[in-house]
Amino acid sequence: MPQLKFNRFAVLLVLIASILFSSFFSSLAYAFDISDFNGPKMTDLYYVVMRDADAQTMAITSGKLDVLGDIFRAVDVERLEKSGLVDLSMAANFHGFFLTFNTRKFPFDQKVLRQAASQVMDRTNWTRDLFSGYAEAAYGFIPEISPYYDADSKALPYDVEAARKLLSDAGWTWSAAGRLTAPDGKETPHVKILCPPSSVAATSTEIALLAADGLSKLGMSAEAQPMDFQTMLARVDERDFDACTNAWTMSRDPDLLYAFYHSSWRDIKGAYNLSGIADEELDKALLSLRNAPSEAEAREAALLSQRLLSDLVPVVPIYSRYSVAAIRKDWDGVYANDRVTSDNLYTLLSMTPKGAAAGETRPIYWNLPEEVRTLNPLVSGTAYDWTVLGSIYDSLISVNPETFEDMPWLAESWSIETGVNGSILTFTLRAQLKWQDGFPLTVDDVKYSLEFLKDNQVPRYFDSVSDMERVETDARGRTVKVYMSNTSYWHLHNIGGMIILPKHILEKVPDWRSWQPTNAPHKAADGSDMTELIGTGPFIFKESRVGEYVRMTRNPFYMLFSSGE
Amino acid sequence: MILRRLGGAVAVLLIVVALNFFLFRVMPGDPLSGMMDPKLSAEAKEKIRGMWGLDKPLSEQFFIYVGQMATFNFGMSMTTQRPVWDELKGRVPNTVALLLPALLLSAMLGIYLGVKAAVARGSLTEKLVIWSGAVSFSVPSFFVQIVLLMCFAYTVPIFPLRGSSSIPPPTGFAAILDYLWHLSLPLISLVALSFGGWALYIRNMMVKTLGEDYILMAVARGLPRARVVWNHAFRSILPPVLTMLLLSLPGVVSGAVLTETVFSLNGAGSLLLEAVNSHNYPVAQAAFYIMALLTVLCNLLADLLCALVDPRVRLGGEQA
Repeated sequence: MPQLKFNRFAVLLVLIASILFSSFFSSLAYAFDISDFNGPKMTDLYYVVMRDADAQTMAITSGKLDVLGDIFRAVDVERLEKSGLVDLSMAANFHGFFLTFNTRKFPFDQKVLRQAASQVMDRTNWTRDLFSGYAEAAYGFIPEISPYYDADSKALPYDVEAARKLLSDAGWTWSAAGRLTAPDGKETPHVKILCPPSSVAATSTEIALLAADGLSKLGMSAEAQPMDFQTMLARVDERDFDACTNAWTMSRDPDLLYAFYHSSWRDIKGAYNLSGIADEELDKALLSLRNAPSEAEAREAALLSQRLLSDLVPVVPIYSRYSVAAIRKDWDGVYANDRVTSDNLYTLLSMTPKGAAAGETRPIYWNLPEEVRTLNPLVSGTAYDWTVLGSIYDSLISVNPETFEDMPWLAESWSIETGVNGSILTFTLRAQLKWQDGFPLTVDDVKYSLEFLKDNQVPRYFDSVSDMERVETDARGRTVKVYMSNTSYWHLHNIGGMIILPKHILEKVPDWRSWQPTNAPHKAADGSDMTELIGTGPFIFKESRVGEYVRMTRNPFYMLFSSGE
Repeated sequence: MILRRLGGAVAVLLIVVALNFFLFRVMPGDPLSGMMDPKLSAEAKEKIRGMWGLDKPLSEQFFIYVGQMATFNFGMSMTTQRPVWDELKGRVPNTVALLLPALLLSAMLGIYLGVKAAVARGSLTEKLVIWSGAVSFSVPSFFVQIVLLMCFAYTVPIFPLRGSSSIPPPTGFAAILDYLWHLSLPLISLVALSFGGWALYIRNMMVKTLGEDYILMAVARGLPRARVVWNHAFRSILPPVLTMLLLSLPGVVSGAVLTETVFSLNGAGSLLLEAVNSHNYPVAQAAFYIMALLTVLCNLLADLLCALVDPRVRLGGEQA
């Protein structure tokens, strides 16, 4: 049996290596250039709701689906690979799984104990055993693919002896029964690691069990305590825990470290500083990171923050999951690299059926693993809502999928000026932008959109616009200046990454909270019937059958679409 | 007497309504945590709480809630910001269209097989019914449904893989046929998974009844066998069967989460689960209230029907 297990694992490794290899080389062979994308090439897009992972796999191999993202079971990846009918792509992503210590109370208020505990977490082997290679062990506090990741700030590798020596050198001792005792003679108490139950998140429970086992190697008494997920969140929010497991989907920007580790969030219920870490030097670094006036200063503060975190160890990074996506082999124009799986906007723009004549189209069937809850962009919050809304709305700037650097989008250029009294963001819009209904997109739309979000304190966007003082537009009509009350390089990403909504629609909305744009009829510039779900993105909303599908059609006014192709 | 039953039903309903309110409030977790960024100012947070009436004292929230339940005005869903009625209207018909026929077909098939098995004691028929009933009753639904999907929607694709309509959906009469075609495999799977419980239950009751003196007397009097079985024996077990059937009816509205997931059906089961998990009070409260109401009504109906089908039963509880 061990031989069989090895063979199976070896097959998996070869499979993963081949997917990563092909993703890497496809990115080399096809260096990203936005001018390469002239689309969408297909006229119809269906987001098909299909929840069950087995049914999804059957659907893509039988041609009922064309694109399937977020494949998380190793068995499905193997099955799809063996079918020979799909191209798989795999990429590192922004997911991070952590073991969080409650630093507010003994024993995890002791830095040296946290450092030692970090060294008894054998995440490399755990990740290999639990995820069959579809995740990588994590040693940093922000995703490794972030441009601000500091490779030198890695947590210490697994070494039980070194961990015990660290404690011993710091004056910690062990009782006759082997129980770890602090230098002041206080014996470490029994600690519980809160985690979701295995029926909800089997690997989280398993990691909590392994972590408890790891702590016992230090002479601590520890156990995993699986519980209902909501109960666990409530306990963590109330700060009623010793340690817990938790996962985050982070972003390319490291400013989230401020929310996760600044002491100002330590005692606020529901805030993200779960560990309750409070360190003066770290606070200073995080404040510099948050208010960095330039990219260079932001980078410096990000690196310093990570170095301090690797010393303070409020959490132990455990693993980061890979994203896996599949596209049927009968499509050309698929874009993927080692950081972005093939289920992305650029694939959506350029995919064409293999062997099809120029201009020939067929519908794209794209999986949606859960139905959309609402397509009101002001309140929708799920990833599934945003899969659809992401093909309808655009922002001023975007992210280069290879470098994760800023990239022109609705704005062709931008600048940031910082002074003692705040920052000024200046965006210059592309020429001749149009909304999906044919009306021109002007600087007034940008101004109205940003002001609407601030004036109405729309929760989803409020954090990004709360420091906005005013918005000014120039007489020429293509430049928008956004005045922020304080300095922060991240204002550029927060404001630049915000979706822009049409003024002529938004000013008619009586109550933004209950706005159902898909049910509200709207006349386009040419008099045709549309709904109020109008953006500038590549696809126009046509119809939603709840629980079944969302139908979209190509936007003839899309900035990257040329009808003469 | 009917009034006394009605009074009892209303009392049960009031208790359920009260529990429905307080149980959600004592559950751990904050209903607004999903929509409220902790970084928002205290003022903004209070504003959001106010939007949902959660800033009011609990007693005031309770009276508002009771008023909503009494008038069937369930308010807005916290996750979609749509009226709760719209949410339910989009889901419940699909669920009823699948689960009501599934309940009736499985009950009919189970009753027929259970009676046949009881009548033919010791025969191959009885063994087959017991064996198939036990399998149907005990196999995990998720497994059976995935296997059926794999066999009849993938390997031999005679049924669709997902949903309740084709994409794009046909129009006119073809749309009805298409809908029925989509519901066929889930329906078959549910009947296959549910008839066993009915068959075993009916068989056991019928075996006992067929051994009663009055049945032996009827046989001795030379009455036709079918008349003895159906008019005498089966009729005598009808009250508990009717009660069981009617008390299964509220489940037709609450949905079947696993079936909905496997066949990608847009039903009430997943809505209810999601509402409970996300502390979406308005949706969860409305759904549980409707289920409680249906349960109470079905219970009353079962009492009335039992009195109709069994002359020994009187609504006053007297035995003839």
